Amino acid sequence: MAMCAALRCVSANFSAALPLLSRSAHIWTCQNSLRPNGLRTLYTSSRLSGALKFTDKHEWVRVEGSVGTVGISNFAQEALGDVVYCGLPEVGTKLEQMEEFGALESVKAASELYSPLTGEVTEINTNLTDNPGLVNKACYEDGWLIKMTIEKPAELDELMDEAAYEKFIKSLDS
Amino acid sequence: MILRLLNRACVLSGSVRLKSTLSTFFDEMGKSGIILKSATTGIFENLALEDWIHDHVDLQNRSMLLLWRNSPAVVIGRHQNPWQECNLPLMRRLGIPLARRRSGGGTVFHDFGNINMTFFTSKKKYDRHRNLKVITSALKALRPDLEVAATDRFDILLNSHYKISGTAAKLGRTSAYHHCTLLCSVDRSVLSSVLKSNTSEVIKSNATPSVPSPVRNLLDVDPTLDSDTIMNAIASQYSNEFGFDGPVITVDPTHEALMPGIHKMAQDLQMWEWIYGRTPKFSVCSSLVVDDVTVKLDMDIKNGAVEQCAMEIPEDWLPSEMVNEFTSALNGSKYCPNEAAVLVAAFTRTVSVTADVAEKIHRLCAGVVSVM
Repeated sequence: MAMCAALRCVSANFSAALPLLSRSAHIWTCQNSLRPNGLRTLYTSSRLSGALKFTDKHEWVRVEGSVGTVGISNFAQEALGDVVYCGLPEVGTKLEQMEEFGALESVKAASELYSPLTGEVTEINTNLTDNPGLVNKACYEDGWLIKMTIEKPAELDELMDEAAYEKFIKSLDS
Repeated sequence: MILRLLNRACVLSGSVRLKSTLSTFFDEMGKSGIILKSATTGIFENLALEDWIHDHVDLQNRSMLLLWRNSPAVVIGRHQNPWQECNLPLMRRLGIPLARRRSGGGTVFHDFGNINMTFFTSKKKYDRHRNLKVITSALKALRPDLEVAATDRFDILLNSHYKISGTAAKLGRTSAYHHCTLLCSVDRSVLSSVLKSNTSEVIKSNATPSVPSPVRNLLDVDPTLDSDTIMNAIASQYSNEFGFDGPVITVDPTHEALMPGIHKMAQDLQMWEWIYGRTPKFSVCSSLVVDDVTVKLDMDIKNGAVEQCAMEIPEDWLPSEMVNEFTSALNGSKYCPNEAAVLVAAFTRTVSVTADVAEKIHRLCAGVVSVM
């Protein structure tokens, strides 16, 4: 009970600073920062481990708390060639799974980006404005594209883990 | 009549059930390669036709070539800044529309002397060099002495120097399109004047820039090379290169029943939010001279709207409260001459100003609008 009261207090303080997070995400963020061990068992480990999940469109999602970071895989960045421009959505844009959310322009073409999950865009990687090549150089780290909320966590279970994705791209070559 | 076969005399009306869409018609045809020609010359209808085919036609086991031409228009690439790329006030005066396409690449001018070709394939079969080879081979088949070759930037050069074709492309979920232009008999004086921006020096932007090149028309080197001859040669060579057989089919992109949703696609392409609003964030920094007074103008434009506007004006020419009112009126508005003029006129009606000040504001507005 005391824990719940403490969480409610903290979430009230957060609400001013984090207006973009949804109500349920509020509480999750607070729990994360307080690290209450008892609550950890409610969530599956994949959501806490920060492991990558992949779509068949070669995007990856890394979940950290209630936020998913999205980028494109090494396979995708190699296929694209040098990225010269990243066309990303506005913060606050609501996306459905598989909805087109932007495009990367490379010497090859303008390649559309498809959302791996349903959620709302909370952050876009502004470093890509002056340095779009980060997508090629560090596609899993500094070359991330957007961060978004995860409205339907079950969607994560439909995505491929790293091993499955490796198998998938091998099958594409044949 | 929904479809006409160009090269054959027969007519399709009997075999096309009106409930079918263009997509099911292609499936029923059973051909792995199809050549289409657009029946209209409107840029927005033709861009919508490309999008519709890309989104609705099964291109996994089928490739298509679409041939199209437009009445005069300027087309910018997906991530470009029109204020940087072309002369918008001149285009307005000449009645030349601006379109933004969904593929990448640079800015081009279209008129009836330009042929557009769109090669639709699956993502696996996407091969721009092979497509450009279709064009250069077709031209050489017509005129063996013609010196035309594709570069590694996917341009086609005439005599190793003059650009006659530029390329852009889009990769979607499972399919791709590569489209390119071909200068046959374009009005080059209009081309060079509209593709020269009147405001590029005052703009700071990270939008994808065009690479300007000297251009030539094919008609300049051979007056017997007209667009129809060239289009037929390209259609023929496409069939040869890819081993297809079949007639060239004319499609009317305004036929909603045949292509459900295409009308809305054409409307969406004409929206201000798409054409201008999709411009990457940029800033304008300009010194205007109004009534022998130098006005420093600084604006940040995001999504085509004025996010921030600041002006430095000598206090004795116009009082600072007026300047603040002026810049406030523009804040949040579309970066558009009509909108700016309307807003400024509205604010001069609501604040009480002397006739002299009102006129100064009017001239200041004209100065600001000159960079829009």
